[in-house]
Amino acid sequence: MVEEMSRGNENKSDVKEDESASKKRVITRDDLYRRSSQFRMWSYTREGLDEQKFKVNEKGKSHALKEFAAALEKIRQTDETFNQFESELSADKLADLLTADEEKRYLIFYSENIIKLTNSFRMPTQVKATAMSFFKKFYLVNSVMEYHPKNVLYTCVFLAAKSENYFMSIESFCHPLPKTEPKDVLDLEFLVLSSLKFTLFVHHPFRPLYGFFLDFQTVLLHPETAIPNLKVEALCTLYDAAKKWLSEHALISDVGFLFSPPHIALAAMYDTNKKITEKYLKMKYFVSNTVEQKQEGGQSDNTKPPESEINSKNYELLLSTINECITLIKSTPKTTREDSTEIDKKCFYALNPERLIKKRLNKLKTAGTPA
Amino acid sequence: MTSTITNVQVANSTCSNYSKDRKVGEGTYAVVYLGKQLSTDRRTAIKEIKTGLFKDGLDMSALREVKYLQEMKHENVIELIDVFSASNSLNLVLEYLPCDLEMLIKEQSIIFKPSDIKSWILMTLRGVHHCHRNFILHRDLKPNNLLISPSGQLKLADFGLARSLGNPGEDLTSNVVTRWYRAPELLFGARHYTEAIDIWAVGIIFAELMLRTPYLPGKDDVDQLDVTFRALGTPTEQNWPNVSSLPLYNSLRVYPPPSRQELRNRFSAATEKALDLIIQMTQLDPNMRCASTEALLHDYFLEMPRATDPSELPQMPSKKKSEKNEPPQKKVKV
Ligand SMILES: Nc1ncnc2c1ncn2[C@@H]1O[C@H](COP(=O)(O)OP(=O)(O)OP(=O)(O)O)[C@@H](O)[C@H]1O
Ligand SMILES: [Mg+2]
Repeated sequence: MVEEMSRGNENKSDVKEDESASKKRVITRDDLYRRSSQFRMWSYTREGLDEQKFKVNEKGKSHALKEFAAALEKIRQTDETFNQFESELSADKLADLLTADEEKRYLIFYSENIIKLTNSFRMPTQVKATAMSFFKKFYLVNSVMEYHPKNVLYTCVFLAAKSENYFMSIESFCHPLPKTEPKDVLDLEFLVLSSLKFTLFVHHPFRPLYGFFLDFQTVLLHPETAIPNLKVEALCTLYDAAKKWLSEHALISDVGFLFSPPHIALAAMYDTNKKITEKYLKMKYFVSNTVEQKQEGGQSDNTKPPESEINSKNYELLLSTINECITLIKSTPKTTREDSTEIDKKCFYALNPERLIKKRLNKLKTAGTPA
Repeated sequence: MTSTITNVQVANSTCSNYSKDRKVGEGTYAVVYLGKQLSTDRRTAIKEIKTGLFKDGLDMSALREVKYLQEMKHENVIELIDVFSASNSLNLVLEYLPCDLEMLIKEQSIIFKPSDIKSWILMTLRGVHHCHRNFILHRDLKPNNLLISPSGQLKLADFGLARSLGNPGEDLTSNVVTRWYRAPELLFGARHYTEAIDIWAVGIIFAELMLRTPYLPGKDDVDQLDVTFRALGTPTEQNWPNVSSLPLYNSLRVYPPPSRQELRNRFSAATEKALDLIIQMTQLDPNMRCASTEALLHDYFLEMPRATDPSELPQMPSKKKSEKNEPPQKKVKV
């Protein structure tokens, strides 16, 4: 229903799929969205999303433990003092791996870096949003304990720029990045692409937002203003503020995995200007239908349940979805630099167990033989 | 940190599900093999994207092809069956379509009935409509990219130049579409264009199906303008408002628009309704060109004869099926 509305003025695009077929099906915008890879492969319930993150964290931990065991074995064979301290070097005593919650907070910190990076390159919103989506998807498949987010982030941005037709040569991309060679970015490109399950098309809320902006004008200003003194300028202000809201709040959240783009767009508008958005939705659900019915000759179909009842149910449902979406977006925790430095250290040792073991071993050696 | 590809098991499937039998073609960024899906014995084409070949990583055309085909499931769009990675190469498993419309047009032994042409154009428009309602421009429609299945279904292929319809205010490159099928707004270097560029190309293909020879075969970009306007008249501010502000609009030879009678003579086999549709699809002003929806609902498709059933359409004589047809020119890559 909402997807329907997002079409704004361009609702003439539905054509019967097959004229010769007896059952004439009309394909709606909703149907098209359901066929998208975003809906088919990257949409979750809240529980499903949490579960996926938990699974990835478990996978990361077991990967890190395997790496730890391999490193331990290597040191056992190369360091003759090893046996002496073996009991102090077990994974139980030494390996300090990231919890699912730490992994989540760590990724939020890196997500913020995507915004900073894409801003510094003056990349369009589309690239920024796609890069963010790629990065989030990558870590729904892999753990930070398998692949450190720093270079993955760069690769996601570089790949998103290409995918959104904003090409940059690898040299000019790497030039401003500290200690980063083209190879660091390009070597991960294939891994990122396959982690994305080769789906590159991302539906963002910005296009439906624009559609709503146009439709708000149609519904609220014509033939007469639905709210006293409402001017087109107010709708422009609303549109700009909602766009900003999406960039500042929605982008960094997980909302893209949980709600459809038109819902997110409406959430942005509703949170930006409740009065206007509510009026629009009411007109859409309660007024325009009756107008259309009158135009069709006023013959109401008595066999159907009263239209108004269904409409108010749908309206309530939509409002609660919008509110849920806003709450979720606003509850995305912020990760402080100290917090992330702490997790960063853990992550470093999870990825480099040899360093961890050697550090400990050296400490033990200088402290002398254990009691 | 590990960054090897081999230990990642996220690809849709692995190469062991497919066999690569023999090479059937080679494009700028890919080698195409005839393959088989081992589990089903289904014939497939496997397009192996050369990686590590470009200094900027994965090629943009390859990325576009993957990006758009993943979203485009439709009877008249080539099916991307699977994607897999094998030792650092990206492999697109496509349905195997050994024939294309260009081969049929060039095959002198085949006679096209009006209902055959109607069927091909209808299938082309359905595929194009599916792209457009998903906000995707194909940007390289030409007979060589309209592939034909053994059952006669026509499918849009080669999405290496496709892109999403621009967001408001975004600049696009006008250096798209193989020259002969390039709409006048592109010839004038317009930075903003729409679905109408694909419709133009379909109109030119429609004409080519009737003429059995390319309709507007310009020798180079300058000549393309001349050929186009000699056939359809030079655009003016009267029939295309603001055309003179487009970047490459200057010092054109002025040709009058063709009269209806002239067009009738040019397409002697076309009915009045067929002529109407061609005229609507090849309007110089993109704003005047019909959309895919209007084209699909055009009276031409309602009048007799009905479009030929795909299974009844002419096919290539079997011995020539595998013969490689050289395209008339290389398209310009962006
Ligand atoms: N699905 C397919 N079924 C059968 N043969 C195919 C298929 N796709 C491509 N081919 C063959 O492989 C050749 C190369 O295809 P490809 O799309 O890579 O490049 P192209 O379009 O010919 O050239 P360019 O890369 O310049 O666009 C084609 O000319 C065709 O002969
Ligand atoms: Mg081709």
